[in-house]
Amino acid sequence: MSDLLKPILLVEDNPKDLELTLVALEKTQLANEVITLRDGAEALDYLFRRGQYTSRAEGTPAVILLDLKLPKVDGLQVLEQIKADPALRSTPVVMLTSSREEKDLIRSYNLGVNAYVVKPVGFKEFIEAISDLGIFWAVLNEPPPGSLRPRR
Amino acid sequence: MTPAKDAIHAALAECDREPIHIPGSIQPHGVLLAMSEPELRVEQASENAPDCFALPMARILGARLEDLFGADARQLREMLADERLQTNPAYVMSIAPAGSAGRGFQLIAHRRSGMAILELEESATASNIGFSSVYPLVTGFMSDLAPARSIGEMNGIAAREIRRITGFDRVLIYRFDADWNGTVVAEDRNNELPSYLDLRFPASDIPAQARELYKLNRLRLIADAEYRPVRVVPELNPGTGKPLDLTYSVLRSVSPVHVQYMKNMGTAASMSISILRDGQLWGLVSCHSKLPRRAPFEARNACDIIAQALSAQIAAAEHRADAESRIRLKSTQTRLLAYMAEEDSFLDGLMKDPADLLACAGAEGVALLYEGQCRLVGVTPGEQQVRNLAGWLETEHGETGVYATDQLPNEYAPAREFADKASGVIAASISSLHDSYLMWFRPEVQTTVKWGGDPRKPAAGGDGQGLTPRNSFELWKETVRLRSRPWLGSEVDSARDLREAIVRIVLRNAEEMALLNAELTRSNQELEAFSYSVSHDLRAPFRHIVGFAELLREREADRLTETGKRYIGTIIESAHFAGTLVDNLLSFSQIGRASLQFTSVNTGVLVNEVREQAAMDAAGREIEWRIGELPRVRGDLFMLRLVFQNLISNAVKYTRPREKAIIEIGAERGDGETVFRIRDNGVGFDAQYAAKLFGIFQRLHRMEDFEGTGIGLANVRRIVSRHGGRTWAEGEVNRGATFYFSLPDASEGSSRRAEDR
Repeated sequence: MSDLLKPILLVEDNPKDLELTLVALEKTQLANEVITLRDGAEALDYLFRRGQYTSRAEGTPAVILLDLKLPKVDGLQVLEQIKADPALRSTPVVMLTSSREEKDLIRSYNLGVNAYVVKPVGFKEFIEAISDLGIFWAVLNEPPPGSLRPRR
Repeated sequence: MTPAKDAIHAALAECDREPIHIPGSIQPHGVLLAMSEPELRVEQASENAPDCFALPMARILGARLEDLFGADARQLREMLADERLQTNPAYVMSIAPAGSAGRGFQLIAHRRSGMAILELEESATASNIGFSSVYPLVTGFMSDLAPARSIGEMNGIAAREIRRITGFDRVLIYRFDADWNGTVVAEDRNNELPSYLDLRFPASDIPAQARELYKLNRLRLIADAEYRPVRVVPELNPGTGKPLDLTYSVLRSVSPVHVQYMKNMGTAASMSISILRDGQLWGLVSCHSKLPRRAPFEARNACDIIAQALSAQIAAAEHRADAESRIRLKSTQTRLLAYMAEEDSFLDGLMKDPADLLACAGAEGVALLYEGQCRLVGVTPGEQQVRNLAGWLETEHGETGVYATDQLPNEYAPAREFADKASGVIAASISSLHDSYLMWFRPEVQTTVKWGGDPRKPAAGGDGQGLTPRNSFELWKETVRLRSRPWLGSEVDSARDLREAIVRIVLRNAEEMALLNAELTRSNQELEAFSYSVSHDLRAPFRHIVGFAELLREREADRLTETGKRYIGTIIESAHFAGTLVDNLLSFSQIGRASLQFTSVNTGVLVNEVREQAAMDAAGREIEWRIGELPRVRGDLFMLRLVFQNLISNAVKYTRPREKAIIEIGAERGDGETVFRIRDNGVGFDAQYAAKLFGIFQRLHRMEDFEGTGIGLANVRRIVSRHGGRTWAEGEVNRGATFYFSLPDASEGSSRRAEDR
């Protein structure tokens, strides 16, 4: 794992989806560390370096893969807080969801989501979708200005 | 008001104020003593008392009972002590006082203002009856009255009986109308005086305070119009300091106006008895004699009993007639209510039997205005006239639920134009919506009223100075126009009842509609919540099944048998399919919920796009497209695209076994709609299942032959029906199928939520 690479933040409460997503990310063979968080509150603690994450190193993730339905604080609320914070605003957020609900999609885009992915039922399609996302956001996408690599 | 009329009204008002209960004098055929109670000393006396008692006035005033009545005083004192003696004058005894020179007097007493008023009335010379004959007279009258069928007949019997008892020349039964004009409704007479039968006398002939007095004291007698009033002295009562109240006196002197009125009528004596009904003055028994005449007290009492018995009988007859009318109206109304309950629209119910609607208020015409509709039955003004009338009612009588008049042209000038159809109207406001009325009409009925004197010159004398009664009783005929037959109380009440029933129905309809709306909103919200959770929670497990089964196949392949691998394949395929079903189900529900955006859609261009896509998906197959001329329609472009996509991809799919597929698409103008058809030469279907085709998840083919979830045609039907159109299909096994759908011309703005049939 390279120090130069920023981590991928995966926020997912469902253990089965978590496992499948990790398999998919593994298959893309990205070098980025994957940090998994299990609910919206934990995600916010991590991002804002609060609670158990008070002492984590500074720096923002390369991309945040955010499930829409999360316990405690749901994905849309997490997204809202990320996009409202000047330091986090430019971090790409990909909303992952089981839902084809139009209103969720509209709300997500209104809140400034960078991509919105309805998890496909087919496993192959699922793997493809995840790896495309990972490659695009973690590798291909130019980091926005200000999100310089963390210095250790 | 003209000056002349002003003068008349001023004079009448003055007449209304004349204090006729305290005239300060009595008629000369008797003597009055006002005695203090309980000591019974004379406080006031009529000036003719000295003659009667052979004592100077100075000794009469202050005298005790014993001083005046000697031996009779004891009995008299006992009788006056009776507490039952109140305002109603009672016969006490017959006496012949000291100075009476043998003349007999009847002593009549009553209480008033804390005094005992004693009246000694000189016995009438020509008395037809004594007290002993009162009872058989009254019972005889009652048995005469029993078989009488009408009020008119009863009145006739009473007039005849009273004339027989009193011996007056003419006895009239006089009935008041709502405006206090009086009409002579029965008469019994000899040839001494002319007939007044059917004549009407204006209200001013009997002023308000006289009517009030008539309610309190039912009997009045004027024995001789030429009499000289006898003053009561002193004028003011020493105890009260006020003039003596003679309201209940039998000897009370009457207003000089009334005396003049009698002289003008050519009568010297008169007697009147009030006919009271429910405490109100219904009418009078009016007796006249050309020469002076006195009816003795007992005869007067007998007449009073007869008058009150008559009034009770009249009341009973009127109540009976009213009850019969109400029962008849009620049964009509019950039928109307039943009709309203049967029909979807209460309007149709009301109109089901127009005869009942008319009969419900005894009308000749009916107009029903509701939510802009106007329906007319029978004899009515024109629609525009009815609408204008409704507008006037709304403005002038908007607060009243039911407005009734029998002289509409006098209230509303434009009604003169249609007086022959609607001089009378009952208008019932049936909804708070503007101008919603149920109206009943009655035509003009011209009547001739025979006035006993010109009512336009009520009682004013020729010189216009002061008040004199009419001096002309010449018949004056008036033709009453612009009036209908009056509405009975029962008819107005019937209209009111029907209105209440309608208002309840209207309200209930509105409430039901609001409830339905609330219910619909709630179920829509539920459906939305349901599909939201389906989309999230139902898809995830399928994804997990597919995902882990794939991982199993991939990572544990070397440990699986071929059968095991096949099983895993089936698991994956099924879970996939289930996921697709969920997606389709969601799209179906979204189609039902999404709002439609109507635009002008060129179906030719649309079909071409869809066809190209379908042809691409079926690359390698030979398909002949026969596409006719397709019109522009109004509809939701996205939704209509789904319709064509479904129908065209079906046609492509079910022609797969054909070497050469032929797909024909066309449109035809129908009656107010455009009918589209998509025909193919594919495998077709059994016509008996045609009705099932458009149901959700209905499939007519085996999965291994033709894939699909069975949602496509359900979507087609739902979209078309939301456009206000219809869907149907024709087919035969192996002979192809034709699918039709129609779009109405007026589908613009239509957002009907008509559900699938």
